[in-house]
Amino acid sequence: MSRLEFENVSKKYGKGMSEFLALDHINFSAESDQLILVVGPSGSGKTTFLTIAGGLQSPTTGTVKINSEIIGNLSKNQQSTLRLNTVGFILQSYNLVPYLTVDEQFLLVDKVKRQHISQEKFLSILKKLGIENLGKKYPNELSGGQKQRVAIARALYADPEYILADEPTASLDTHRSKEVMSLLHELAHQNNKTIIVVTHDLRLQDQADKVYQIIDGKMSEVLNIDKSAKKNLDFYSK
Amino acid sequence: MFLALREIKFEKIRYSLIITLILFISYLVFVLNGLATGLSDLNKSAITQWHASTILLDKDAEGRLSQSFLERSDQQKINGQGTPLSQYSALVKNNQTGKTNAQILAIEAKGFIYKNLKISSGMNFKKDNTAVVSEQLKENGFKIGDKINIANNDIQLQIVGFTPKASFNVAPVIYTSFKSMAKINQAPVNGIVFNKTLKGNPQFKHSKLYTITSFISKLPGYQAQQLTFKFMIGFLYIIVFIVISIFLYILTIQKLPNFGVMKAQGISTRYLILNTLTQTFIVAVIGVSLAMMLTVITAYVLPSEVPIAINIKQVLTTSFGILIMSLLGALLPIRQIIKVDPFEMIGG
Ligand SMILES: Nc1ncnc2c1ncn2[C@@H]1O[C@H](COP(=O)(O)OP(=O)(O)O)[C@@H](O)[C@H]1O
Ligand SMILES: [Mg+2]
Repeated sequence: MSRLEFENVSKKYGKGMSEFLALDHINFSAESDQLILVVGPSGSGKTTFLTIAGGLQSPTTGTVKINSEIIGNLSKNQQSTLRLNTVGFILQSYNLVPYLTVDEQFLLVDKVKRQHISQEKFLSILKKLGIENLGKKYPNELSGGQKQRVAIARALYADPEYILADEPTASLDTHRSKEVMSLLHELAHQNNKTIIVVTHDLRLQDQADKVYQIIDGKMSEVLNIDKSAKKNLDFYSK
Repeated sequence: MFLALREIKFEKIRYSLIITLILFISYLVFVLNGLATGLSDLNKSAITQWHASTILLDKDAEGRLSQSFLERSDQQKINGQGTPLSQYSALVKNNQTGKTNAQILAIEAKGFIYKNLKISSGMNFKKDNTAVVSEQLKENGFKIGDKINIANNDIQLQIVGFTPKASFNVAPVIYTSFKSMAKINQAPVNGIVFNKTLKGNPQFKHSKLYTITSFISKLPGYQAQQLTFKFMIGFLYIIVFIVISIFLYILTIQKLPNFGVMKAQGISTRYLILNTLTQTFIVAVIGVSLAMMLTVITAYVLPSEVPIAINIKQVLTTSFGILIMSLLGALLPIRQIIKVDPFEMIGG
């Protein structure tokens, strides 16, 4: 069973006068069979939270454990292997390698990682994302939304235990956003994934099992998701 | 390999540019090397063919055969070891050809130079006034049976055989006997050549023993010429290194976000470095191979007066050198790849 834990995690950027507390004593945990949404306005610390969760940067204080291993104790190589086998990132930008076609983006995963998701399952994912016919195209021939969906598919292709997605629906319309969220929801529950989506888009909360909010680096769980939560969160939705 | 090839395919223009650069630099190195060897052969190919180890020359001659006249007393100390040499440089012609420079060398029939002389056509000289000459003279229109006229001299030498390209001091060699040479210029013993260690530890009064290597290096103009080429070639190696370094460095800097993304995906730095090295290797191999082809074509097309000598061994060692320089050139960019922090590239 997968488990991701934050214990008293803080992150400071800069030093002295320009010191900035991006994450403020965060306690958080996520488990398999969960789609967790973390909402917060721009600059609230969402990307910082997500990159620390996946070991792309280390916290200033506190510990992050993945399957009860403290990420900070792993060597650079071990962290790299962790990202290859255990954690899949869907990033805000720069997700694809510009000189690889869509098919080759997946092929690259094959090259460095032995096992991956079944072809059948993968094809159905491509279809759900509406990108099954883009295999021969290069990233510069895709729309922003198509790129985003290919990036989502690439992260899923490696079949990681954890999927960490940073604004995965930023360049998608409402309809596509809903589909992506229901796909992630399905993966979480049918394939026992731990999925964390950070976003400023409040419309995504329908599919989430849990919703957290981050404001100025402080995180808290939003207990009543539906109407009342929406009202509570209204102050930063534009 | 996977990333390396895909990227070359996607960025055709960039990589064609690097390949073209490597192509031209390698080509220049090959041609300069060919010229250096060609000119060096013109100076010494005859000497090399002797397979000798040392030569005894007049102390005051500074290693120059033509300036050396061995004292009889010193000659006697040798007790018949080695083979004596008499040299006369002359303008020669036959009835049809114009005058051309040649080095007439007298050797003894019982000496090792005569015995080891390779005859590519005709036969070795025996009778008076006969000679074996370097094949280069064929290009001047000399044939077997031709009489060679020597400028300012009444003696004629008849060609009885050819020896493979033998050149000394930038002129083709004519081998003849001491007896024939005596009629041309009294045949002084200018030097004695040895192919074995000198026995008896003779103490010479007026003469000095040179190794063949130092004898060659003292040929007029030889060292200056070869050093110039070595200097140019050395510089070209450095240029290969710098060009590759700069090119890859700029490419790498532009690609840092890509490396960041791939690192974030968990692709190891090792894999990325290996790909960059493979890519450099592929690009260098293509450039160098094209340069080889161009060099072979050049050697073929150039008129025979241009002393260019392309030999496979040299081309291969040179290519190897260029490949090594290219891979060294990839080291600086590799440092960049190692330093890429995936978070800095993708964060925000
Ligand atoms: N590398 C960095 N150096 C300094 N400050 C940073 C850095 N990255 C982010 N920040 C700051 O930390 C805060 C949180 O950033 P981020 O996690 O990217 O927020 P979000 O993803 O919610 O927009 C912002 O105020 C941002 O300016
Ligand atoms: Mg962000």
